[in-house]
Amino acid sequence: MNYYYFSITGLINAIAAITLGLFVYYHNKKSEVNQRYALFNLAVFVWSVGYIFWPLNQGNKEACLYWFRVLHIGAIFIPVCFLHFVTAFLKLNKKKILNFGYLIALFFTAFSFSPLFIKDMRPVSIFKYWGTAGMLYYLFLITFVGYAVYACVLLYSSFRKAEGILRSQISYILIGMIIGYVGCSSNYLLFFKLSFPPYLNVVGFIYVAMFAYAIVAYKLLDIEVIIKKTLVFAGLLASVFAMLLLPTLVIQEYIFRGTGTGGKVIGLTISGIIIMLALRRIENFLINVTDKFLFQKKYNYKELLKTFTSEVLTVLDLNRLVRLTVSKLSDIMKLQSCGILLLDEDKGKYDLVASQGIAERNIALGKENTLITFLSRAKTYLSIKPHEKELHMPQQIIEDMNRLKFELAIPLMTLQGDMVGVLTLGKKKSDENYTQDDMDILVPLARTLAIAINNAEMFDELGKTQAEAAQKEKMAVIGTLSAGINHEICNPLGIARGQCEAFLLNIKDGLYKDKSQGELLEKAQNIMGKVIHETDRATAITKRLSSFAKPSKGIISANINVKDEIDEVLALVGYELKLDKVDIVKDIEESLPLLTGDKKQIQEVFFNLIRNAAQAINERGKITIKARQADDKIFIDIEDTGHGIPENKLEQIFNPFYTTKDPGKGTGLGLFIVRQVVERNHGKISVKSKVGEGTTFTLEFPLEVKSKA
Amino acid sequence: MADKKPKIVAIDDEIEFTSMLKEYFELRGYEINTASKGVQGIELINDKKPDVIVLDLKMPGISGDEVLAMVKSKQPKTKVIFVTAFDDAGKTKARLKNAGAYGYLDKPLNSLRELEELVNKAYSESF
Repeated sequence: MNYYYFSITGLINAIAAITLGLFVYYHNKKSEVNQRYALFNLAVFVWSVGYIFWPLNQGNKEACLYWFRVLHIGAIFIPVCFLHFVTAFLKLNKKKILNFGYLIALFFTAFSFSPLFIKDMRPVSIFKYWGTAGMLYYLFLITFVGYAVYACVLLYSSFRKAEGILRSQISYILIGMIIGYVGCSSNYLLFFKLSFPPYLNVVGFIYVAMFAYAIVAYKLLDIEVIIKKTLVFAGLLASVFAMLLLPTLVIQEYIFRGTGTGGKVIGLTISGIIIMLALRRIENFLINVTDKFLFQKKYNYKELLKTFTSEVLTVLDLNRLVRLTVSKLSDIMKLQSCGILLLDEDKGKYDLVASQGIAERNIALGKENTLITFLSRAKTYLSIKPHEKELHMPQQIIEDMNRLKFELAIPLMTLQGDMVGVLTLGKKKSDENYTQDDMDILVPLARTLAIAINNAEMFDELGKTQAEAAQKEKMAVIGTLSAGINHEICNPLGIARGQCEAFLLNIKDGLYKDKSQGELLEKAQNIMGKVIHETDRATAITKRLSSFAKPSKGIISANINVKDEIDEVLALVGYELKLDKVDIVKDIEESLPLLTGDKKQIQEVFFNLIRNAAQAINERGKITIKARQADDKIFIDIEDTGHGIPENKLEQIFNPFYTTKDPGKGTGLGLFIVRQVVERNHGKISVKSKVGEGTTFTLEFPLEVKSKA
Repeated sequence: MADKKPKIVAIDDEIEFTSMLKEYFELRGYEINTASKGVQGIELINDKKPDVIVLDLKMPGISGDEVLAMVKSKQPKTKVIFVTAFDDAGKTKARLKNAGAYGYLDKPLNSLRELEELVNKAYSESF
């Protein structure tokens, strides 16, 4: 076993104690508690500094004794300083005991460099030199243990009476101190001939860690600032020192055994190289460790606001909006859990529609639920700190809180004062509590979120209304198709009926008298073939029509063949166009890629545009349908040789209820709906026109449809 | 007179329909000629000078209206019977009657016999 281990434990304790002590002190110099704490840490620091050097001087009895005595000055003050801190912290008046303690400490200090305290140095256990206790030393030990135990007893009895956050704070101080005292007291065993070297000295560091944790998690000493940086720095410093120290000493001891400065220089050079190589890694490692296990970075309010105003609140798709809110909030604020409950009007319940870190999926709270009634009536947030959970809360709220894992529930109120939902936020990963700063940003954020949710819901509703309007428009247009459709249905039926009737009448009138059975059979077969053909024709058109008339179900398919869909539409309107003396020219690229979208909606768009084109043609004319690919888009032109649209009216044609058609011929919704439908399918529509020459509508659809909604 | 049968021209863009009429009327001793387009039909009318014309209204090219107008101006004695699948609550029927059409039947025909009787009635009234 190398002595350096003991030296390094001292180093770690020294750095940890002085860093935290200074941090606490400078955080509030005027606070008595902070002052006492800093003083206590100073004592620990003195003891630890002495502890660094006594093992390093195992070869030199005088030096070893010197540092052994120095460290004891720290040790003498530790218990009374700690008691002082505890009484200040617990606001107890123990002036007499404290004064007595300081007096005794001063008394021991006065004798600390005399043989009455440490008599001599001699080999004990693995050490070449370890102190021999003088007369006063045993007295010192008694007061040490007495004051230490007394402080712990005070803490414990306060702990039993304390509630909430104070209880947590005390528990961390108490546990930290017990571990620290027990660990460091392992030093005393050697004085009693117990051959157990003070390996546990290093756990002195633990009380610092527990304090730091209590500061962060439970605002110990009213400190809210994250001390991550301080900790990283301290850890880094300790490692660097250790690295600097170790090789130097190893080289000095084993390679150049006392050859003086030459060895030290080589040792320092090697240490320097090691530090340079390892520093960045150590720093990253420490930052990682503190981020992950100890403290989370304080979130950035600016980032939160920016993300929400630019990325989240503009989303019109309700599902995406709530999912994005939950994930962004959790990410930025570093929450263990987060959820959004939204009111389902039909069910009269608030459903958990998006969540992170909440195990249960199907949570629905009725309107009569205590939490829901509270939030909707109070119209303000409910913040429950984990320590207060058992206190004055109704049982149902505590149950919901556990299910939804929240510490903070904010109602989402619309401008009309209705609660559309609830935003629940769980514990922060940093274990910090929600502060007024948090609320100052979260409350307005929730208000905006409620408006965004309301908007998204209305947009959804609007989509449904639009779909209904589109359907009505379609039915109206189908009505005007009657001439063509009637022709297409009645003609085949007329032929089928006529064929049968003619055959029967011919027999009845004796016109087939001279025909043989075989001839008649052949005749009948011929007629039946025709009847089947004609009824199939009529069936095909009715099927087409009824399929077209059915409302779109919003099914997105990735295999829309533009040519097929145009042919399908032409099958419906083609005859009508033929009667109206309109020629159709198709110019569709052979290898046109397939489109992604709602097939029925795309069909409706073609249908409307082709019919419009036909209606624009007064006498004879031509409709040209072109489709081509350019880059990653498909362009479809529907071009007519009709009367054209004056330039001053071009802008208005996509407006609702605007029509240039004769009364009864159009509702004025056609192009308005066409544009909406095109945009819903991620496409664009544009128009060019010249009066007297004709109009061209151009559709543009992307080939790769990225989910925009 | 009673044995004399009217000479018919049938014009309809549905060839199956006209061929059906042709077979029916020919078997019964009528002279019937058919055309599937307005232009051919007019030629046929000029050529055959039929007594009765069975005419579709909506046809590609020259429509039934135009054929009727031509017949009325050139061969006013010829009766025109429309057989059409144009359903607009009688408006078209009234308009065509005003324009001088003799009769108007809807597709699908109720009966071929009905058409035959109307053809004969029209023919008998043309004297």
